[in-house]
Amino acid sequence: MTGDTLSSTLFALADPTRRGILARLATGDASVKALAEPYDMSTAAVSKHLKVLARAGLVSRGKEAQWRPCHLEASPLEEAFDWLSEYRRFWDRNLDSLGSYLEEMKQSRSVKDDPAVPSEDQ
Amino acid sequence: MSTITEAPAGLASIVMRRNFDAPRAIVWEAMTEPRHVARWWGGPGVTNPVCEMDVRPDGVWRHVMRFPNGYELRLDFVFLEVEKPHRLVWRHADFDIQSNGVPPSTTTVTLAEADGRTTWRMVAQFRTLAERDLARSLGFTGPIEASCLRLIEILATWINGGSEINNEARP
Repeated sequence: MTGDTLSSTLFALADPTRRGILARLATGDASVKALAEPYDMSTAAVSKHLKVLARAGLVSRGKEAQWRPCHLEASPLEEAFDWLSEYRRFWDRNLDSLGSYLEEMKQSRSVKDDPAVPSEDQ
Repeated sequence: MSTITEAPAGLASIVMRRNFDAPRAIVWEAMTEPRHVARWWGGPGVTNPVCEMDVRPDGVWRHVMRFPNGYELRLDFVFLEVEKPHRLVWRHADFDIQSNGVPPSTTTVTLAEADGRTTWRMVAQFRTLAERDLARSLGFTGPIEASCLRLIEILATWINGGSEINNEARP
């Protein structure tokens, strides 16, 4: 996945209305009018959001039917999800490592600061 | 320096949280002093042959991670906000110029202390200028909610045929 595709996907997902539209499409294809219904928005405003989603490759429009149903395209979402999971895993490892290091710091400090005094637990 | 509480349109965020059994002053020291950062950054198997931090607003953080297979990853960051001992903000040095590759991010870490323990909270926000400009041209200029991208997690579960994916940030 290129960075540009990824950032298009992230950008598309950054807006709550667009996330709502994707969630709706996850349950099945829908017309622009049907997608606009839950929001206090014109179909034109919803069309703008759909344009962003289409640019990110997340939504395609049917050609045959007159109402041109919107369809969720899952693969960019999956790729973005993989990348985000990897990012989270990096930070999980990083924080596990920080946690262990903090224990070392505390240990060396109590030894250095109070060499003769046993810890409170004893 | 003013506190940024709203994200401009076009930013996606990841929020993570972790509790450490250590006082805040020690956590702050561990994440702002290069001699400490170089010891833990990256986790097991990763070494950090370069870690130079000028911890003040506009100060530079130069870093090289070396992975077990010998691959070296260079990271260049700039500190934006430094409020010892509770708030540290940095971003990729090429945040405003990079148009390709991994989306650059701004990372905000806040530390809260209670009963000698510290809660570490990170918000990473991603952007590209092209996307921001597209947002403007389409008339999206308002703030967005800082989200954990819950939807993408739910959708990914659905995409994978309902298999469970545990991608929650740890408490």
